[in-house]
Amino acid sequence: MSLLSVTRSILYGGKNNLQKIEVINLLLQQNTSVLTGGTGGGATTRNMSRMKKTRPFWQPKSTRTLYPEELTPSNEAFGSEVISDQHTSSSTTSPLKCEPWPRGVWSEASMRCGVIARKIGVYPMWDNNGRRLLTTLLEVPDNEVVKYIPPEKLLEHTHPKKNNNTHTKEMAALVVGADPIDPRLVTKEYYGVFADSGLLPKKKLTKFLITPDAKLPPGTPLYASHYRPGQYVDVLGTTIDRGFQGVMKRWLFKGMPATHGVTKSHRRPGNIGSGGEKARVLPGQKMPGHMGNKKRILRGLKIWRVNTKYNVMWVQGPAIPGATGSYVYVYDSWYHHCRHTPDNPPPFPTFFQDEEEGVEEEMYHPDLHVFSKPSIAFNEK
Amino acid sequence: MLSAVPRRIFHTFFRKPPAQRVTAKVPPYIRDQLDSNTDNEQPLPHDFRTVYPEFLPDPRPEWRNRLRERLERNDMLTRRSVVAIPEFYIGSIMAVTVGDRNASDKTNRFVGICISRGGTGLRAWFNLRNVIDHQGLEIMYEMYSPLIRNIEVLRLEKRLDEELLYLRDALPEYSTFPLDMEPELLPEGAPVPINDIKVKLKPRPWHERWERKNLQGVQDLGLPQRFYNKAKLHEKPWEKYDLMMEYRATIPEEEQADIFHEIAPHYQQLESSRRQSKRRLAQTSRY
Repeated sequence: MSLLSVTRSILYGGKNNLQKIEVINLLLQQNTSVLTGGTGGGATTRNMSRMKKTRPFWQPKSTRTLYPEELTPSNEAFGSEVISDQHTSSSTTSPLKCEPWPRGVWSEASMRCGVIARKIGVYPMWDNNGRRLLTTLLEVPDNEVVKYIPPEKLLEHTHPKKNNNTHTKEMAALVVGADPIDPRLVTKEYYGVFADSGLLPKKKLTKFLITPDAKLPPGTPLYASHYRPGQYVDVLGTTIDRGFQGVMKRWLFKGMPATHGVTKSHRRPGNIGSGGEKARVLPGQKMPGHMGNKKRILRGLKIWRVNTKYNVMWVQGPAIPGATGSYVYVYDSWYHHCRHTPDNPPPFPTFFQDEEEGVEEEMYHPDLHVFSKPSIAFNEK
Repeated sequence: MLSAVPRRIFHTFFRKPPAQRVTAKVPPYIRDQLDSNTDNEQPLPHDFRTVYPEFLPDPRPEWRNRLRERLERNDMLTRRSVVAIPEFYIGSIMAVTVGDRNASDKTNRFVGICISRGGTGLRAWFNLRNVIDHQGLEIMYEMYSPLIRNIEVLRLEKRLDEELLYLRDALPEYSTFPLDMEPELLPEGAPVPINDIKVKLKPRPWHERWERKNLQGVQDLGLPQRFYNKAKLHEKPWEKYDLMMEYRATIPEEEQADIFHEIAPHYQQLESSRRQSKRRLAQTSRY
């Protein structure tokens, strides 16, 4: 529902057809899943709760019911050893299973891959005028490209009515995973997704739509330096689940007085419809209901600082959806005034940090005050 | 039977497994072996947590993240290497110079008594209070703001209370300090003196019901007995026995030690600025 309402608002506000379709596809295809162990359905929304969730074709069911296998501790340890041998012994050689692919050249029509990040907290920074900003720290935990889906393959799985634009027919996709997980926890099918790339299964998996010139071979690591200070990003996250809430919390209604003869309706909504000929409640009336646990996207957030050692980026604002520790998806900003320009192109298809020499540990926006610099002095005029 | 259930949680695969299955939402603190080099561990002073309280993170588990806390501490230490932030307590008299775009000489110096202090990490702050031209003034300073040019402790001392907000309702002479006050020096190694002055409050109405706050540093409030009876009803004498409340409000001691050992390489620099501010002799020019 939320995605549809977002798309609808964009549809009416968008500038040309091409973008509208692009955004719809982007939003509809950002199917992401959370690997919840055990019972699963702890966080359900009331909206469309009966709708059966279908997984996209690139993402098989990830978890299975675990049962006591009566393994001795030594067997358990042996299993861990085998897994670590399989996945870490080849650390001296390149993690890429295939030959490196030719790297595309950035153009204004290019769409790069995004990253999966984890929100790790909010803390203040100051700019060069002494103005205090709140920034959210997004950690990019072990992101790796799992799979490249070429346009023709992607087209097979998209609805023809939803994808009838020539531009979007040329879109490809990259499946990206974050945070390795114990392979014994996942299903065989889910493990098979990572077989081609030789990666450990990932805790979090998502798909980013790209143009084919931004394709990356499976196994390519993505770092926080994929983004540079001064760039703008869109961040998609799941808001904190607040459960069933009344109108005062959910819609910030004022409620009714505590005294002056008011009984039993201090936090109630009051009237919900007009009388007369209508004699009904109009659709969209704000009422109590489930609050939170919805996908929300914040657009046009500036990146102030990037730490390449710990893979952390400082993003403008404290209001990125989700609790501390939750996963978010970071995209190049979709806003026109926030896009990359030919004067200042992004690292394309990504920043290959391992190949570069002398990458700075900390990258700052020029407007940001760096703590190692002296205190701000205003000049006499 | 239970012991045969395989412990298959994420931590066991990459780290040393904890002693038992993790059931809490927030995992127990496991000391990071890679980061702590046990060879160079020096004994730390016992008063570290009172001198540098803002290095301890906010204990609310839903806001904690160890990577963020470490990055924050690095930034704090970097800032401290530029501007020395001295040791001070509630009740110390301080002078703060900040860059001010609107001042004639582009800086502003304010002298006052520290009436409250709070915040953790880069959000740390303190409040100074003074009475200037019969007008009470309070300014909140962010300790790590780059606008701060200099922080001076003119008189290092403690008071009997944890917050001196009652000075707002006290006679103005208790919070009046000359702007040209000379720094008073303490002998090296001397303990921080505790000023046991008893402040006289103005008659009611007050900003708060001070009779309910169990204040030590005020003279007899001179209220009718009914106020004390009401205060008795609002007392919470059981809170000092509430172990869970204390647990939620504090960082575990072994984790505190790790945090302070982490900043130990910068200890020399921190201590030198601390000593500088302490070296001021007590000249006892009380007024």
